[in-house]
Order: sequence, then structure tokens, then C-alpha cells
Amino acid sequence: MSGLFGTLSIALSSLTASQQELATTSNNVANANTPGFSRQRPVVVTGDPIVEASLSFGTGVVLQKIQSLRDPILEIQLNQATQQQSQLDTALQQLQQLQTQFGSATSGIGADISNFFNSLQQLAPDPSNLALRQSVLTAASNLAADFNTTANSLQTQRANIDLNVVQSVSAVNTLTAQIASVNQQIGNLKNAGQDPSTLVDTQTSLIRQLAALVNVSVVPTDQGISLTTANGTTLVSGSQSFALSTQLGSDGVQHVLAGTSDITGSLTGGSLAGFIQVRDQEIPSLAGSLDQLAAGLATNLNTANARGTDLNGNVGANLFAAPPAGGVGAAATLTVAITDPALIAASSDGSTGSNGNLAALSAVATTPLANGQTPIDSYSSIVFKIGNDTSNTSADANSSNLILQQLQDQRGSISGVSLDEEAANLIQYQSAYQAAARVVSAVDALLSDAVNLGIGSAV
Amino acid sequence: MRVNPNPLPDLLAALNQTKLQTQQATIEISTGRSVNQPSDNPTAAALLVDNNDQATFNAGYLQSLSAVQGQLSTADSTLSSVVTALQRAISLGVEGGNGTLSDSDRASIANELQGIQSQLVSLGNTSYQGRFIFGGTSTGTPPYVVDNNAPSGVSYAGNPGVNQVSIGSGYKLAINLPGSQLLSAAGNDVFLSVHNLIQALQTNTGIPDAVTAVGAASSYISAQRVFYGNASNQAQSQTTYLNTAKLQIAQQENTLGGADLATAATNLTQAGIDTQATLAAISKLSQNNLFDYLK
Repeated sequence: MSGLFGTLSIALSSLTASQQELATTSNNVANANTPGFSRQRPVVVTGDPIVEASLSFGTGVVLQKIQSLRDPILEIQLNQATQQQSQLDTALQQLQQLQTQFGSATSGIGADISNFFNSLQQLAPDPSNLALRQSVLTAASNLAADFNTTANSLQTQRANIDLNVVQSVSAVNTLTAQIASVNQQIGNLKNAGQDPSTLVDTQTSLIRQLAALVNVSVVPTDQGISLTTANGTTLVSGSQSFALSTQLGSDGVQHVLAGTSDITGSLTGGSLAGFIQVRDQEIPSLAGSLDQLAAGLATNLNTANARGTDLNGNVGANLFAAPPAGGVGAAATLTVAITDPALIAASSDGSTGSNGNLAALSAVATTPLANGQTPIDSYSSIVFKIGNDTSNTSADANSSNLILQQLQDQRGSISGVSLDEEAANLIQYQSAYQAAARVVSAVDALLSDAVNLGIGSAV
Repeated sequence: MRVNPNPLPDLLAALNQTKLQTQQATIEISTGRSVNQPSDNPTAAALLVDNNDQATFNAGYLQSLSAVQGQLSTADSTLSSVVTALQRAISLGVEGGNGTLSDSDRASIANELQGIQSQLVSLGNTSYQGRFIFGGTSTGTPPYVVDNNAPSGVSYAGNPGVNQVSIGSGYKLAINLPGSQLLSAAGNDVFLSVHNLIQALQTNTGIPDAVTAVGAASSYISAQRVFYGNASNQAQSQTTYLNTAKLQIAQQENTLGGADLATAATNLTQAGIDTQATLAAISKLSQNNLFDYLK
């Protein structure tokens, strides 16, 4: 087999391998900027030797496989970092929107509380003055209006987040279906003994998109991979995907269901968890504090007003409509109950010129509410909480972003396409192809010599 | 070790970071505030709410004080007029006690004293911005009415109420004395003393005692004027204090939330330099690779 045809065959194997190597290089260059693409490397081995007596002849080169360079552990870390980053970014975005309601110290609920109590203070020197009484009512209705606006915009944002949750769940379902389908194709290729590298890249990329939405664990199985969320809910198993669904809960927001079990509270990563965190924790907590503040103010001021006498000589009526029992919704429904400024019960002794009960009304400003804080301190605590939560989330998002960036760098160092490398490979494979072609040409000449041997000698 | 062949995402992230810094510095400079949203400095943002509360109340106390001071000085000058009227009554009484006077002379003096009594009633019904200031908390109706059934000929329709006004945190100032502690105070009733003097002159009996009684009432009113003097002084010194506090509150506000313009400007410049450097790096990036050298 070591004859000229053998040599020709070896040269042919070299030409073939070089072409395949060039194709791989070309593919790498083509996909240099394709997201999720892992660079490929041709793995060539020497052909099985032919042994003749004591001699062993090589049979050329064979392209064994085209290997994709990726680090599965790194991909898992990237999934985790993506989940965290996506959750924090989503939460941060919502919190930043949320905190605009509490942005100013000189307007909004805090300033309204100060202004209201100041208007009572201004009434003290001249308690029967209707203009001053009217400004108390105006300050009260400003206070109520800002409570309403703030509470309503919290609820509006909650409703918007709720829409986002539903959309995210639908995006999760699309992705899991795609992943399951790719999973099946990979399985088929593997069963046929073929290389699924490119599809694995596609799948990795899809899983990364899924990780941005929800926390997933990738578990390799006989049928490709299975995907589960942190609490063990299966999203993809082999070629099957299991869709999540949403259902309106008794708390007025959409719950995420896997089958029939509610997994809303156990979602810990991805933008879905970020949305749910703000929707189910941050906003209810802020709304609760606002309700407590509104209800406390209304109740205490009504009690104080009832201790005095109004300009008509009657016992003071409610200044604010009585807050709902338990205080839930108090901020959204806070309304001034009186329109007649004469009904402010400033008098403690029944005469119109007395301001004795204004002291009782003013004292509400320094009376601790149910949370042990005065009204203005309750409000500044709310400002601190939203500011602090936003600032912490922002810091976490920044550091998580750095981690993600480092992991992406690492991934790039393993899987990224380097044009320098590809150019060098191109030269190498080109030279190899040229060399093999020269061998073919040499064999051709030799064969020609051999075929024409008789003729030549005859001439 | 192989390096990541594509550093562009890192550079773009760095560029985003420098742009964020530029934005923050620009906002700080343009608003003059370092705390533009609670997350900029949660503690300061919360303290600014309290600071605004203090500022509002401080301004409110000052406003109350200026409202109160007018009433206090009106009351004080009214009492001064009361004392002057009583002094005149005393001189008239002393004159009437002169044994050389005829009945008709005493009658005309008594007539003049009637005029003083009316003047006193009118002074007792002094109002400030529509409020009667000597009626206790009954400020809507004149506290003194001529009443022939009353021993003094004048009855008090007011009440003994006192109004207080907050002029500082936990600092309350009483702003009135009710008539029952002033003009018609039991034992030193101004109207009764003048009324008795008139009667003494008309009957020519006990004139010196009646004059003494008017003198005692006058001294009493002078002594009570101290209340308004004190209140005015307190109002004055509290005004000074609140104006100082106003400056402190404003300074504190600036410390908490004002922009440090020098630092912000430096940050802006630095962010500008960083942006330039990053942009330069990006523009130099991947201009050359091995393919460029292949012929």
C-alpha cells in the first residue's frame, strides 16, 4: 500500500483535512460576533497505519471531530450570575421608579404634614379667624390629596409589575419549549453518533436567556439536560417542557403556578424574582407604612377635634373621614370630612375666641403613632427605607455586574474567537493544503513517468 | 493564559460607568443638591424631612410671634391709657375733696368722672383685629356693658379664659389676661372704684377713701401691665432666638443636602477624562489583527 497510489491517497486525506480545517476557521471567523458561540477547533488524528512485515506506513490524516471549546462549570456560574444580575437590575429599576414618590423634602406628604400642623399653629393667635381656619382645611386637603396620589401610584406601579410578571412567565414558557426542542435534537444527534456542538451553543444561549428571567439549575441527564427552578420545579426534562402559568391570587396579584403548586414565593433569581420582590414585599411594606401613618393621623386628629368645640358651639366632628378598620387602604382613601372651616374645634371652653383645643390638635404632631414614632418621623422612616433599599440594591447590582463581567471575560478567554488565532490557523492550513497539493502534483509527475516508462524506453 | 479576545463589552461597561458619573455630577451641579433622590443618601434624605419640618415650624413660630406682638402691644398701651385715665380721676377726686367746693362744683366733677368711666368702659372694650382683647376667650362680643343693676354700673360679659400660643417647641406664651383679672378684678375693680368716687362726690361723703381706692386700682393695673411687658420681652427674645435657629436650620439643610460644587466639578472633570480615555481605547481597539498583515 506504500506505492504511489498510497501516497496519492495520503495527499488526498491531507487536502480533505485541510479543507475541513479551513472550513472550521472560516466558521469561527464568521461567528466571531455571534452571541453564545463557542470557538471550534478541528481535532485531527493520524490515520490508522498499515503494517507490512516490520514496516508500519502511515495513511495520512483524519479529521476526528470538530470540538467546541467551552467550560460547562463556567456556563453554570454564568447562569447563576445572570440570574442574580437580572434580578437586581429589575428590582433596582422598579425601586428607582418607586423612590421618586418620596424624592423631595419640601413637597409631598412630609412637607404636607409639617404644613398642616403649622397651619394649626397659625390659627392659635386668632382662633376665630375664618381665613386662618380655611388655610387649615386647605392644608388638610393637600395632605389627604398627596396621601391619595402616593398610595395610588404605588398601586399603579404594582399593577404594572403584575403585567410584567405575566409577560415574564410567558417568555419563560417560550424559552423552555425551545430548549426542550433543542434538547431533543441534541439527543437525536448524539444517538446517531454525531456532534451536537452547534446546537449545544444554541441551547446554552437559550438557557442564559431563561436564567435572566427565572432561577434555573441545569442537570445533565441521559436525555440531554433537565432544568429545574430552585425549589425543584421541573421546567424541562428531555424533550418535554412544563409550562408555568399565572393565576390571580386573593391578594389581587398574579401568582406563578407550576402545575397546581404556587411557586411565587420560592422564585429567587432572574427578573421574575426581581419583579415579585418589589411587588410583594417592597410596595406592600411602603403602602402599609403609609396606611398606618394616614390612619394614625386621621384617628388622632379626629379624637383631638372631638375634645373641643367648634365655632357653632358644637362638639368637634371628624376632621377626616374615619379610616377603614385595620387601616388598610387608609392612605388611598384619606379625605377631609368637613368643608366648613367653622367646624374646626379650636375652643376648649366653648367660647369662639378660645384656642385651648388647638394645643390638643397640635399635640398630634408629637404623639407617637402605632409604630412608636411621631407622624413626621414615621414619614422620614419611609423615606429612609426606600432610599436605603434602593441604594443597597444599586450597590449589589454593581458588584453583581462586576462578577458577571469577569465571568464573561473568562468565558471569552476560553470560548471567544480570536481573529489573530484564526489568521494564524488560516496560514497554517493554507500552507498544509498547498503542500498536499504539491504532493499530488509530484505523484502525478511520478505516475506519468511510470505510465510512460515503456514508451519512453521504446523511443 | 489565553485572554478574552473581545474586550469591547468591558470597555462599553466602563464607558457606561463614566457616563453615569458624568450624569450624577451634572445633576448635582445643575440642581445644587447632592441629595436628589432618597437613594443618593438615605440618612440625609430622612433627616431632610425632619429639617424641613423644623424649618416650617420655625417660620410658623416667627409668624405667630408677629401676630401676637401686635395684640400684646395694643393691650399694653390700652392699660397705659387706663392708668392715665385713673390718674385723672384721682386728681379730680382730690380736687372734689376740697371742702371749699360747692355742690354744683362737685356735681360737675362727678360729671367729668362719668366721662372717664365711659372712657374706661371703651378702653375695656378695646379690640385688636376684631377681637376684644380683655374678654378672656370670649373675643367676639364686647366684654364690658353698662349695667345699672351692677354695683359698679358696669358688668363683665367675658370669661376668665386665657389663650396660649406656641412660640417654640414646647414653649407656650399666654397672650391675654382676662378682664376679670384686670379692669374688673375683685377687690381692685376699676369701674367700682370710679363709680364709688362719683357717688362719694355726689353725696360729699368718704371722698378721700374713694380716692385712695381709685389709687389702689390704678396701682393694681400698673402691676398687671408687667404681664404684657414680660410677654412682649419673651416674644422679642424668642424672635431673636428663632431667627438664629432659622440660620442654623438652613445651614444644616445645606450640609445635609447641598451640593459640594467643588467636588462635583472635579468629579465631572474626572468623569470627562475617563470618558475620553475609554473612547480612545475603544477607537484603538481591534484596528489591527493578523489578517491585516496577510497579503
